[in-house]
Amino acid sequence: MGFNRKGFLLRSALVMGGIFLNGCVRKLSGRNEKYRHIKGHLKGPDEKAGHMLRDKIVIAEPSYSKKVKTLIIGAGISGLSAGRWLKKQGMADFEILELEDHAGGNAHSEGNTVSSYPWGAHYITIANNDDELLIDFLKENGVITHFENGLPFYNEFYLCFDPEERLLIKGQWQEGLIPKFGISQQDQEQIDKFFALCNQLKYAKGEDGKYAFNIPLDASSEDKRYRDLDQMSFKDYLVKAGYNSAYLLWYLNYCCKDDYGQQIKDVSAWAGLNYFAGHKGTAANAESGAVLTWPEGNGFLVNKLKSYLKPHIRTSVMATSVVSNKDHVEVDVFDMLKNQTYTILAEQVIIACPQFVNKRILKNTDRNLFDYDQLNYAPWMVANITLTDFPASGLQTLSWDNVPYGAPSVGYVYSGHQQVDHGKQAKVITFYLPLCDREPRVSRLAAYSRSYDQWLDMIIPELEYMHPEITPLIESVDVWVWGHGMISPSVNYIWGEDRKKARSSVAGQIFFAHTDLSGISLFEEGFHQGINAAKSLLEVNR
Amino acid sequence: MHKKLPVLLLTSVFVVATCGLIYELIAGTLASYLLGDSVTQFSTIIGLYLFSMGIGSWISKYFEKDILFWFIQIEILVGLVGGTSSSILYLVFESAASFRIILYSLVGITGILVGLEIPLLMRILKDRYEFKDLVSKVFTFDYIGALLASIVFPLLLIPYLGLIKTSYLFGILNVAVALIVCLNFHKEIKRASYLKIASIVSLLVLLAGFVLADVITKYSESLGYNDTVIYSKSTNYQRIVLTKKGKVLRLYLNSNLQFSSDDEYRYHEALVHPGLSAIPGAKKVLVMGGGDGLAVREILKYPGVNQISLVDLDPGMTNLFKSNPMLTELNKSSLLSPKVKVINADAFSWIRSQNEKYDFIIIDFPDPSNYSVGKLYSNSFYRLVRSILSEDGMIVVQSTSPFVAPKSFWSVNKTLESVGFFTTPYHNYVPSFGDWGYIMAATKPGYKVPEHFPEEVKFLTKEGIAQMLYFPKDMQKQDAEVNKLNNQVLVKYFEQEWGSVSYQ
Repeated sequence: MGFNRKGFLLRSALVMGGIFLNGCVRKLSGRNEKYRHIKGHLKGPDEKAGHMLRDKIVIAEPSYSKKVKTLIIGAGISGLSAGRWLKKQGMADFEILELEDHAGGNAHSEGNTVSSYPWGAHYITIANNDDELLIDFLKENGVITHFENGLPFYNEFYLCFDPEERLLIKGQWQEGLIPKFGISQQDQEQIDKFFALCNQLKYAKGEDGKYAFNIPLDASSEDKRYRDLDQMSFKDYLVKAGYNSAYLLWYLNYCCKDDYGQQIKDVSAWAGLNYFAGHKGTAANAESGAVLTWPEGNGFLVNKLKSYLKPHIRTSVMATSVVSNKDHVEVDVFDMLKNQTYTILAEQVIIACPQFVNKRILKNTDRNLFDYDQLNYAPWMVANITLTDFPASGLQTLSWDNVPYGAPSVGYVYSGHQQVDHGKQAKVITFYLPLCDREPRVSRLAAYSRSYDQWLDMIIPELEYMHPEITPLIESVDVWVWGHGMISPSVNYIWGEDRKKARSSVAGQIFFAHTDLSGISLFEEGFHQGINAAKSLLEVNR
Repeated sequence: MHKKLPVLLLTSVFVVATCGLIYELIAGTLASYLLGDSVTQFSTIIGLYLFSMGIGSWISKYFEKDILFWFIQIEILVGLVGGTSSSILYLVFESAASFRIILYSLVGITGILVGLEIPLLMRILKDRYEFKDLVSKVFTFDYIGALLASIVFPLLLIPYLGLIKTSYLFGILNVAVALIVCLNFHKEIKRASYLKIASIVSLLVLLAGFVLADVITKYSESLGYNDTVIYSKSTNYQRIVLTKKGKVLRLYLNSNLQFSSDDEYRYHEALVHPGLSAIPGAKKVLVMGGGDGLAVREILKYPGVNQISLVDLDPGMTNLFKSNPMLTELNKSSLLSPKVKVINADAFSWIRSQNEKYDFIIIDFPDPSNYSVGKLYSNSFYRLVRSILSEDGMIVVQSTSPFVAPKSFWSVNKTLESVGFFTTPYHNYVPSFGDWGYIMAATKPGYKVPEHFPEEVKFLTKEGIAQMLYFPKDMQKQDAEVNKLNNQVLVKYFEQEWGSVSYQ
């Protein structure tokens, strides 16, 4: 932990000092006149629970104990998917614990009188055709309605409607996100060259006959030629390959921010390329790379997963320690609603939590000396903004995904886009800001110290830049801060030793499932993480 | 008495006369705009106005003291009532039931007040002139004023100022006269300061109205309509504007022409009869869009049809066509028929929850000029339509102009085919639209031109349909893509094709 600690402390102090001073100035000068009408709150994952874990607050001794055959800790996508798999295999004696008051993890969603909206993950790409498990799940839930000529036919109400994306560049909204309005011939050539490369990589295979890039990424080739790309940053790779077009680099940087919460300099080249070459699904009724989305984002998929698991999920319940004994795993649990501690004795446990949580709750396991500090989590700020009306100038081409070129955020998503009806005048848009200008730890601390009004200072100027005169139309802004928003595929993480170590189970009793064990935070990865853990668990039982 | 008084008062006779006649003309014009039938409107308004003036003259004998005070007070009142009358009438027109009462009351009040003015004036001046001079002077100014008004009203005021501004302007003139008289003779008038304040306040009110009128008229009339706007309302969904020129009514939704009353029958007959006449046993008909009730009017010509459901998003639209007398005359009160059920709902959401079957379905949506309407032309939508169509049923879709927008037209055709419909595209000429296209679709092939049409039909004949089914060389079928929710190609075609023509 000692490395770079001094520098970290210094930078943190500077950043937080700045935010504090700005906060003082704000307090003195009063709330910005222009924002006075805006309602809303600062939200985020349950802070109380987080603090209890982090600060190791002494919790009362367990008052009783109970037995559960299998325990799943964490009801994010990985945990839910593990539960679904157990259920499908005929297991009934299991519980899923969740410390938040809702299941869903990053794919959490809420709604108001205008619309449902996501708080995090909000779409998936159509499934790779060899990903049978995912295709089965989508079929079970009506996302795939049937097959035509062997290709999945996706539910047309879930395929993202047109117009899908637009980019504000040089004062103009253009269709699509790859810059094309007013760029030079040379820029265009580099863009074309890069996408030709991606197309080729999409179908490239390693010596073992597997795809060089794939999703879930553990299905990709072990060929060193490709895996070595994990040892350099995406930016270095691009520079070496001669890409220097500002527009192309902006676009790639945007993509990495959007999917990984980090810039091209902070993710590995393998991860960067996997973004473009990993998805290769084709469909009977959609183009390759088409996306599926819902007003509530991936909250839709969460509800589908939950539908298998209603009686098994316990929310507002926190696991505080996990101890592996000879014949069972002892899990101390704090029920946050009843303010009560008890012990669950489970034969086997799947821990579907991020590793920084595992580090605190796992008591007597060394996990092969895996180094927790190698994992970086990107902090995010997500804001749901309710507008009484949309500014007329930007309405005609209002798309699902709306992105400003060269801005800190990755733009906003319009949650009403998938409504087939005429729609209301009032609209909800979800604004995504990855906090990636500084190293994650510093950005996280800074994010935690910002006040609601200070967030508005970051959000509203960008909205105004995209849509002049939008401020008076803003009814409310709710802000959600994800301190550990998603795992970042840093250099040498995906194919490095630590990820391998972290994934191995403990004594046939404790299994792990989480997207941070795959390295990229995608629904597909969590979905497979859960199934893999459940499968290994069942394997031991047999 | 002051020396200047007679001159000033005679000038005010002139102004009063001009204003009086202007108010009358405004009321007449407005009534014929809003209610139609200008002969009836003008003659009833003029009659009522003159009669009210008579009442005013008769009442004048009950004013005994402080006549100058009363004269100024009435002057201010006339200015206020006359000045605001046209705005009031415009504003209350939407609640049509009470409109006539308000119209005639306003005309009556103005008439009475104007009728009071001249007798009172004559009594003020009676000591200044001999009777014969008095009568000659007063009536000369009165009639010159009337002449002036009747000339400037149609030639200058309406074209340059518009109705609302004109009435505020003359309201201001009226009150200004009151104020000037008051300022010059404040010594001879009781409670002069009260009159001064009253007239200044009224002037400010009217001035504000004059300025605001500019905003209102800019909003409603300068949207590029050639004709006079007689009704305009922004509902939650759209801006409805009704214009009138001569006898012709035109309806615009968001500035797009929906129909022109002189040739809409060509459109609606072509939309309804080629399909409906070919389904002899049709009992249940569904109309989507078409809140004007004109397609329903055509359907009601089939006695066999006993249930018509009209699904239109906008209650503002269907209510207007249920209640406005000019419009119910046009649609023959079709929306009030007991066979008709009006459902104000979004067609896409509504149809998703339906399972009742219909024999004939008319899809008469606005053109696909934006993405939210474009969804209603998608294969997903047509699949839902198919699911509620009875086995031998048929649908018809208004499909924009195959002449101006062939790719759009044939894209609708292709989209219908893609969900398993057998289509029969056709088109006809509607003078105010141009060459217009429709597509019939059924689950079985083999459309046969019907032998008979309802008797009341003005345009359609069997021979006519044969022509409508023929697509000349410049409108031949083109390759076009299927319109889907996730590509919205139709909106793009439509934009390209209509974007390159300027129309309306």
